[in-house]
Amino acid sequence: MTNGLTAQEVAATMNEFGLVDQVRSNRIRIVTPLPRVREALERARRVLACDHLVQIAAVDNRKSFELIYHLTGPHRTVLSIAAEVPRDRPEAPTVSDLLPPAGIYERQIHDLFGIAFVGHPDLRRIILNEDWPGDEFPLRKDWKPRPNVFYGGVPEEAK
Amino acid sequence: MDVPLLVLYVVVFPGLLFLVGYAFLFQFLDRKIAARMQSRVGPPLIQPFADFVKMLAKETITPADVKRADFDWAPLLAFAAVATAFLYVPVVGPSPVAFQGDLILILYLLTLPSIALFVLGWLSRNVFATIGGVRAVTQLFIYEVPFFLALLAPAIMAGTWSVSEIVTWQASHPWFAVLQPIGFIVALIGLQAKLERTPFDIPEAETEIVAGPWTELTGRRLALMRLTMDVALVTGSGLVAALFLGGPLLPWALEPAWLASLAGFGLFLAKTLAILFVLTSLRIAMGRLRIDQLNDIGWKYLASAAILQVFVVLAMNAWWAP
Amino acid sequence: MPEVVVPIGPHHPALKEPVNFKVIAEGELIVRLEIDIAYNHRGIEKAAESRDFVKVVPLLERVCGICSHSHTTVFVKGIEEVMKVGVPKRAQYIRTVIAELERMHSHLLWLGVAAHEIGFNTLFMWTWRDREAVQDSLEELTGNRVNYGINEVGGVRRDPTDRDVARVLRRLPVLEERIAKYRRMIAHEPTTLARFRGIGRLTREEALRYGTVGPTARASGIEYDIRRDDPYLAYDEVPFEVVTDTHGDVYGRTLVRIGELLQSVGIVRHALENLPGGPIKVATPRAAPRAEILSRYEAPRGELVHFIRTNNTDKVERLDIRTPTLANWTSVAVSLVGQHLADIPVVVAAIDPCLSCTSRVTIVDREDRETKTMTWEELRAHGMRFYREKRGV
Repeated sequence: MTNGLTAQEVAATMNEFGLVDQVRSNRIRIVTPLPRVREALERARRVLACDHLVQIAAVDNRKSFELIYHLTGPHRTVLSIAAEVPRDRPEAPTVSDLLPPAGIYERQIHDLFGIAFVGHPDLRRIILNEDWPGDEFPLRKDWKPRPNVFYGGVPEEAK
Repeated sequence: MDVPLLVLYVVVFPGLLFLVGYAFLFQFLDRKIAARMQSRVGPPLIQPFADFVKMLAKETITPADVKRADFDWAPLLAFAAVATAFLYVPVVGPSPVAFQGDLILILYLLTLPSIALFVLGWLSRNVFATIGGVRAVTQLFIYEVPFFLALLAPAIMAGTWSVSEIVTWQASHPWFAVLQPIGFIVALIGLQAKLERTPFDIPEAETEIVAGPWTELTGRRLALMRLTMDVALVTGSGLVAALFLGGPLLPWALEPAWLASLAGFGLFLAKTLAILFVLTSLRIAMGRLRIDQLNDIGWKYLASAAILQVFVVLAMNAWWAP
Repeated sequence: MPEVVVPIGPHHPALKEPVNFKVIAEGELIVRLEIDIAYNHRGIEKAAESRDFVKVVPLLERVCGICSHSHTTVFVKGIEEVMKVGVPKRAQYIRTVIAELERMHSHLLWLGVAAHEIGFNTLFMWTWRDREAVQDSLEELTGNRVNYGINEVGGVRRDPTDRDVARVLRRLPVLEERIAKYRRMIAHEPTTLARFRGIGRLTREEALRYGTVGPTARASGIEYDIRRDDPYLAYDEVPFEVVTDTHGDVYGRTLVRIGELLQSVGIVRHALENLPGGPIKVATPRAAPRAEILSRYEAPRGELVHFIRTNNTDKVERLDIRTPTLANWTSVAVSLVGQHLADIPVVVAAIDPCLSCTSRVTIVDREDRETKTMTWEELRAHGMRFYREKRGV
């Protein structure tokens, strides 16, 4: 096991993407604009050996969506690259070609938050049922189940 | 043998009635031994019979697009075949219906359950059943050749094609298990494969293809098919006991005749149960093979071993007649 | 033979949980497959946002039946870090013991399931028998066999007596001996070797590329273990080794899990023998300050991640759960292509998939909504009526 990354090291390579912040002893957070996410991930993977995608966390902060890509590598320091997705245009570039595991996480986020990942080869439903209404995204903060909407499954009359 | 006695022989003892009862006992012992080896409690004695009665009472479902009649006759045919085969297996003494060539007939009748399973799998239009049926036939082609060869070797040495006469031959000679140890082992493995028991339960592999050809069997058909497999287990063990372990005949004469019959019957029970014990242990000690692995093992090792055995027998016949 | 589509699941004897594979097979060989994992939507992430920290812990315990302790520990660990409360040593040790016992029962369960998938039912019965000893230990320490209910924010809820500890310690040598026996069995039994070796192989590069975690990654030679890489609970004080293997196939994963079983026995023994005294919990503030935390945990199946966002209230703003199964899922689809139909169950089982964990995220369907409107009294009345009518109680 090699030593962990330091904030200085990360700042040296990643400074151009945005603010670098050491949030925990082994976690460094970078905020970057959405269009530069792919570039930042690619740089982190190549220069900082962050080859393992831990998670893509998605948060609805009521004003916009946040995508936080948590990466780690042999150094075992978690590098979090955060980006904001505007609410009125929920689209983000896919990273599934850079990091294959991202594919399944992106499908999940697409399903639950309605963020479209541009360039994803197979953005089908993964969590929700096939007959779930297409414009309902349950993990958005403003979502509430509406009583007169059919959310899929076996209709009441058919039972 | 006169006609009433023959009817008694065919229907009651050691024919159909005894056979079915003994098959239930076999299933019970098989399950009980397995359970004890796996540190479980296991079923009570009556369980196989209770299962049978329960399944008879269940609804029989015919899949859509399948002709009822076809689905009905396949299990019946399989059962009839193995039950008939048992008549030629010596139980208390030489079989009264024995004739030259009954060994071939038994071998032929014993393959019918596998064919029936294939037909059932093919007919039921279920993906799992179809795959299972295809696997059953594939497996048939793999184990059948070594199994046949292994069982024919005693016939070659004894110079007769009748199981009962092979048994008689062994009364004055050593058992074939001693003379042909390779053939005996191949026969046991072949029997295990024929009965589709672990490690050869490939056609009905539960975790892979649900139940294979059995998937669409319900109610009476399932009951009958399961009984068929139990009966096949009895017939198979009886056959191997007769061919390799000297069957029910004592090497020395016993007076009076009823005592000899009783001793023969006891020998039959002891030998078949011993074979069952071996087969059950084999089932417990192993996992399931894959069909391609079975193919490798079957053709590379089992078939070669069986052929070797036949050659050894031919050589022995030529140079050393026991 | 032409290509056939074999539907496996959502109900299939090989699967303990609902999942659907559409396997396109040519004869016995798999050409490609499509996976649908989500049949267990329970909306836990959404539900977690509306419960305070006291109520959310029992909810998270029900994310998964096997790694229930993992989900609560990773959550309370995160919240405690946000609140900056120091959890007493004794509580950390107790959590560690439960976590390792949970790993043992999970791995023993897995070993049995893997054996069952290849039709080796004897090993299945034996491991599950021994798993009972672990479950009894868990029951004695926590009072429960599955959902232990021992974690809360700030500590643990139940203090084991010396007698409990002694009883658990007494069981360990037997378990150790049995596990060693299974290791010998796996290494020598020909059918097991035939079915495990070379099956579902992932090279080190593939395992890295597809982001595998836990025993799946470690079996491909990747030393990735959160217990060592980002120590939590008492793992920085307890000696243990990260078990790795280089086979990369189902056999390797089996060896890694058996090795981990032995390590777990050692950890439990060390932790129980050196159990510090003192309190088992501290008082915590009701609310957590605004913060964001990535809490990682080495669950039996691999790295479990809870991303928690708090916002000055007593509820989480967002809880994003990434389960180890989801991380390993991509690798399954890759490693199955070109394999035999007969190998699907064992390859899938080899990552120890936990689907109730993985597809927990979604929301109420019609039935759930109805259940929600049922008040406690109605539910109680319903339960009584049900038992009176059905059981004659």
